[in-house]
Amino acid sequence: MSANDTQDQVFIRFSVLQRFLHLVVMLGFTGLALTGFSLKFSAQWWAQAFAWLVGGADHLAYLHRLCAVITYGCVAIHILWLVYYKWVLKGSLTGPQSLFPKFKDVKDLFQHIRYFFARGPEPKFNRFTYWEKFDYLAIFLGMNTMGLTGLFLWFPEFFSTLLPGYFINLAQVLHLYEAILAVALKFVVHIISTHLRPGVFPLERSIFNGKVTQEKMLKEHPGEWEGLTEPK
Amino acid sequence: MRHSHPPTRILLAAISLVLPVFAFLLGLSPGHAAAMPAEEASWFIHMNRFQESAHATIPCEECHKDLTGREQTHPDPKAKTFLKAHATRNYDYSLCKSCHRSSYEKYRLGSHAKALKREQTSPTTEPGPQAPTCGDCHSGHYARSHLSRVETGIRMTAVCGACHRPQLITYLNNYHGKAAVNLKDPDAAYCTDCHGAHECVSLKDKEVALSACQRCHPDAGKSFAQFVIHPTTQDTGPGAPTEPDIQKKERVALIRVVTAVMGILVLFVVCFFYGHTFVWLLRELHEKLRKHGS
Repeated sequence: MSANDTQDQVFIRFSVLQRFLHLVVMLGFTGLALTGFSLKFSAQWWAQAFAWLVGGADHLAYLHRLCAVITYGCVAIHILWLVYYKWVLKGSLTGPQSLFPKFKDVKDLFQHIRYFFARGPEPKFNRFTYWEKFDYLAIFLGMNTMGLTGLFLWFPEFFSTLLPGYFINLAQVLHLYEAILAVALKFVVHIISTHLRPGVFPLERSIFNGKVTQEKMLKEHPGEWEGLTEPK
Repeated sequence: MRHSHPPTRILLAAISLVLPVFAFLLGLSPGHAAAMPAEEASWFIHMNRFQESAHATIPCEECHKDLTGREQTHPDPKAKTFLKAHATRNYDYSLCKSCHRSSYEKYRLGSHAKALKREQTSPTTEPGPQAPTCGDCHSGHYARSHLSRVETGIRMTAVCGACHRPQLITYLNNYHGKAAVNLKDPDAAYCTDCHGAHECVSLKDKEVALSACQRCHPDAGKSFAQFVIHPTTQDTGPGAPTEPDIQKKERVALIRVVTAVMGILVLFVVCFFYGHTFVWLLRELHEKLRKHGS
């Protein structure tokens, strides 16, 4: 095996299930944002155009809930996978190569910002960088809270028997502001930081084909490479 | 040599370019909730528009009986009150009853008529909205018949909202108003679907409110009516604040606190990550250009 061959070695970064779930959540999330914001900003021409396109307010509500069921279904499958991974495959959900937040992420963040202003070298990222962990955890936690407040708004008659009626108001506020946060981050920060920045432009393919070359791994996640090559 | 262009200046320029576009798309420009003004009654009649109205076939004397009275004298043009009161303040709307009996009876028992009675027995000199007569909400000369539910509903929102402005704004901010007025969904609730046409009942009493909710939400239980449909503290209504008023104030305060906390949180997180991403982008561009140059 020549040195060139080792440089071209390909690893699987994302499993088939992970790629599939990312794709479905991507579509479901876009659908949720479109239908939800068309309702929230329904006084605007673009929202009214979209509502007309799908056939009115009730269709908008139906599609929003359909997208919600599909998206939350992905979260549920993912949780089942985590349980299986932990208890059957005996994998680690909190190790250095996992998505679990560590103190190193805070240090990496400050180191990275120093690097932005040319005050230091790039941090040595593990398998998942701090912004990748943030992207994942924000979606993972956000989906659950959005799901909860969303269910409250879907079945207010039932939930108001458990909680006071004005919690419907609070659920609306939380649902709206979390939606703004999610859309502002996912459609701008996530797209730019994982796909559009000059280092990866125009598209980060590994989330769609699962593959990562050794060269890429060494450049973007050097800590992961060390984890792989270290004797166990 | 290290570049020392302050990225903040570029950032501010970018924000000032992008923000108006977002503001435009989200309708944050002033006056987005502006509703149509109610059709005002006037001393002067546009005959063309009258011809298209529901009352077009009724001769003038039918409603203005005093036009034909022989003993009528012309009011003194030099009198201080001449043409000073609004037309709707002078007209005797009990005449409407001869055709619109049930509507009139409902109005007579409703809260608008009560407010009118209060106003007549103890007149205030304060400027401000006066208790409505028929003509304040309905234009006797121009109101058209055979409007669809959505058309009526949208007009009604503007008419009611002319006096009940905080209620209009909160209604349009609510799912009901968005679906009914903005997206023209005939299944969604307009003002009178909850408050009743002509009775115009206050729904401060939660028992009364619940029965209104249950017309569309048959499974609604007692606490369902605690949902604050109009989260405003500017409720119209006479007298000292009652128990429901105080309770509502507390709930609106809670809703506002949660809204403020969430708003600050969202702003903080978004600003941090936008700044982070922007500076990162500049850094990588710089890296690319440096490689390109060498």
